[in-house]
Amino acid sequence: MFVLSFLARRLAQGAIIITLVSLLIFTLLRVVPGDPVRLMVGGMAPDSLVEQIANRMGLRDPILVQFGRYAGQVVRGDLGHSFVRPANGAATGGANFDDATRAERAPVAALIGEALPMTLQLAALALAFALAFSSLVGIAAGLRPGGLADRFAFAVSSIFISLPNFWLAIVLALLFSVKLGWLPAVGYGGFSYTILPAIVLAVELSPVLIRTLSGAVAAQMGEAYVAVGRIRGLTETRIVGAHVLRNAAVPLLNLLGVQFSSLLGGVIIVEYILDYPGLGLLTINAVLQRDFPLIQGIAIVTSAIFVVINILVDLAATIIDPRLAY
Amino acid sequence: MDRRRFLQRFGTIAACAQINPDFLIASAFAQSARPLVFLSAENITGNWDPTAHTTLSQKNIEGFVMGFLTRTPMTLDDPGKVVYELATDIKLLDPHRLQITLRDGVAFHDGKPFKAEDVKATFEYGAQPDRPAQWYPGPTDTLTITTPDDRTVIVDTTKGGYPAHLFVFLASFLPIMSAKDVAEGPGGVLAKRLNGTGPFRFVEQRGNTTVLKAHEGYFKGKPAIPGIDFTFTADSTTRMLSLMNGQASIVERLEPEQVETVKGNPKIAVSRIVSVENKYLWFRCSKPPFNDVRLRLAACHAIDRSVILDVLGSAGHASSNFVSPVKFGYVDLKNYPAYDPDKAQALLAEAGFPKGKGLPPLEYITSVGFYPKTKEYGEIITAMLNEQGFPVTLTVLEPAAWNERLYHRPGGGPGHMIDCGWSTGSPEPDLVLRTHFHASSHRITGLEDPEVDASLDKERNAPTLEARKTILQTETMPLLAAKAPALSLFTSAMIHAMQADLKGLFIYPDGSIDAARTA
Repeated sequence: MFVLSFLARRLAQGAIIITLVSLLIFTLLRVVPGDPVRLMVGGMAPDSLVEQIANRMGLRDPILVQFGRYAGQVVRGDLGHSFVRPANGAATGGANFDDATRAERAPVAALIGEALPMTLQLAALALAFALAFSSLVGIAAGLRPGGLADRFAFAVSSIFISLPNFWLAIVLALLFSVKLGWLPAVGYGGFSYTILPAIVLAVELSPVLIRTLSGAVAAQMGEAYVAVGRIRGLTETRIVGAHVLRNAAVPLLNLLGVQFSSLLGGVIIVEYILDYPGLGLLTINAVLQRDFPLIQGIAIVTSAIFVVINILVDLAATIIDPRLAY
Repeated sequence: MDRRRFLQRFGTIAACAQINPDFLIASAFAQSARPLVFLSAENITGNWDPTAHTTLSQKNIEGFVMGFLTRTPMTLDDPGKVVYELATDIKLLDPHRLQITLRDGVAFHDGKPFKAEDVKATFEYGAQPDRPAQWYPGPTDTLTITTPDDRTVIVDTTKGGYPAHLFVFLASFLPIMSAKDVAEGPGGVLAKRLNGTGPFRFVEQRGNTTVLKAHEGYFKGKPAIPGIDFTFTADSTTRMLSLMNGQASIVERLEPEQVETVKGNPKIAVSRIVSVENKYLWFRCSKPPFNDVRLRLAACHAIDRSVILDVLGSAGHASSNFVSPVKFGYVDLKNYPAYDPDKAQALLAEAGFPKGKGLPPLEYITSVGFYPKTKEYGEIITAMLNEQGFPVTLTVLEPAAWNERLYHRPGGGPGHMIDCGWSTGSPEPDLVLRTHFHASSHRITGLEDPEVDASLDKERNAPTLEARKTILQTETMPLLAAKAPALSLFTSAMIHAMQADLKGLFIYPDGSIDAARTA
């Protein structure tokens, strides 16, 4: 019963958040410089033609009217069609709007549907790398606060958090791909192409995870139940593995939900630098081409993912620690 | 060991056995027997119809797939050289009639034999006034094309009044389509895929990659390269990384610094050629203040182009004309505006703006991210103009926003000056001169000058190529230098880097590649 009411409440909140994010993106797109109709009709078209087409497409209506029309489509499951990208998948530029022979425009949902699994694969691998590394370093640091492992964790976190991801992507590509030849770096031709960008993103994620984990483990190790466990003869492995880590996992889990947003931000840069065909690269191209429907679709899908992840994280946290249920 | 621990350890060992460490490195080393991977700096359109776009990267793809009547290597020492491909002979019967003799035994990739009807269909379709890529000297109704037999085409331009020799250079630039495809018209099969007689056949568009395979039935023999993956990769650092790790075979539009980086690398070869592309500072000639020729010339005399070339390094080549030195008719113009601050001041004063006093604020628009060093030399030009009293501010935009502001519109278009290059893969100078400076076109400058129009018409209508060259060099080009609707800053050098085993690959001055070496 709790789960149902929890989900109902959080999903309702999530719907409001997604609507507000969509409205914000929708408004921003229409006030920044760069008229998409000018790009569609070609630079030489007279302003009168631009206005005529913009009016026909409803792009000169008040923003709220446009948003209402768009939201109605989205509710019916239609994210619209790209302004510029054709259905055959080619990148576009230079085609004339009044060219009757141009190929059919691609549905936004299909474009996102192709790119999203790539990004989810990358994000999952990055999280796995980050969690594995952070667990090793963070738990060791938390078990001996002030010790060698703790100082190492602090140094590693400080270095990692100072590395810009675009720089790290280039340097790691030069090292692992150009110099050592261990990993492919650019584009996508199989799972191995995910490893290098995932490492870059994991480096970005790790510092916060390490600090949270080491802090949480250190705090739990000072709790009375740890001393009681030792008196009862439980092994250190059992105390840490079965009790300390379980309790220390709650702040980590909450943090993962928040970190996911920074991961989506990091994905944009890393995918662009390494030409990884996910949602980040699609976003950059859509922005450069002023492809309004595609940008809006991506914003809705990413904010929905963000909301769902956070709901799941909160739900998992309440299962781990029932005191968090409300 | 209890049962749970045994199962946990067994599971771990079993899982490790499933991981194949080769997957980490296999892809990076899978170079042999792979297709040639070309990373392009420019995206393509969503329409494969060759008459529907003017996009350079897509023209390069057409260079692999489509057949041309001739090819023109356009070298500095012989700009007018013609190599016959689908044609075996082109000759003028009289000033208005051109006879083209076609090669026998050639077929399109879909199996249709190549005949005179295909050339006729291509010319008649491409010259239609509604086709977006307007490369023809006149619309379809000014042409009469006859095919006395399957191997002969006669182009008659009597109705248009312009000479037939204009098709000589165009023949190397117009991809020949199948009459069967053309019959479906706009919106038909032409828009969906390429079908040509070239060394590679179009297979599919996979995301940003155009996949081409060697054509077994190519009339010169199957190419040694098994296929080409032509991929749009926007970032130049990414393209370079991909070349250095062996994933890419060839990359284009290197920055001068990148040339320095790879110069000592024995695995990589660099090709630098003087291209068909000039870079220009275009004036908005249809609105004040640059509707006054004296102010245009004053601005030209304020700019020291040698400093710009220093900034560009290997990416630039000095030239003093409105077309590239590899184009037909190029000559270093004696009256081309040179850096002369005194002359600039004299012209400013003569126009009523001594030392620039009274001039309105002027906007100079440029792009960043596509052409090399535009922002850097844009800042230099802005400083030089300000030094002479032009109150210029520089606006630097990413390519989409810049492209939106590029062309002339009624009233003059955005800004007062704008930076842009112009590249057409043919020696034909009118693809630049007429396109930009004839009043019928407007394009970027919006120039409307009857004297320039008359001179452009005169050179176009010259009865022979030799007579045309004389008019171009002694009348039309000097007139344009005196009117300065634009200042051609330099000719771009096309810099490609490639895996060393591809060294010797012929790259045309428009960036298209001859990858047809046979097995």
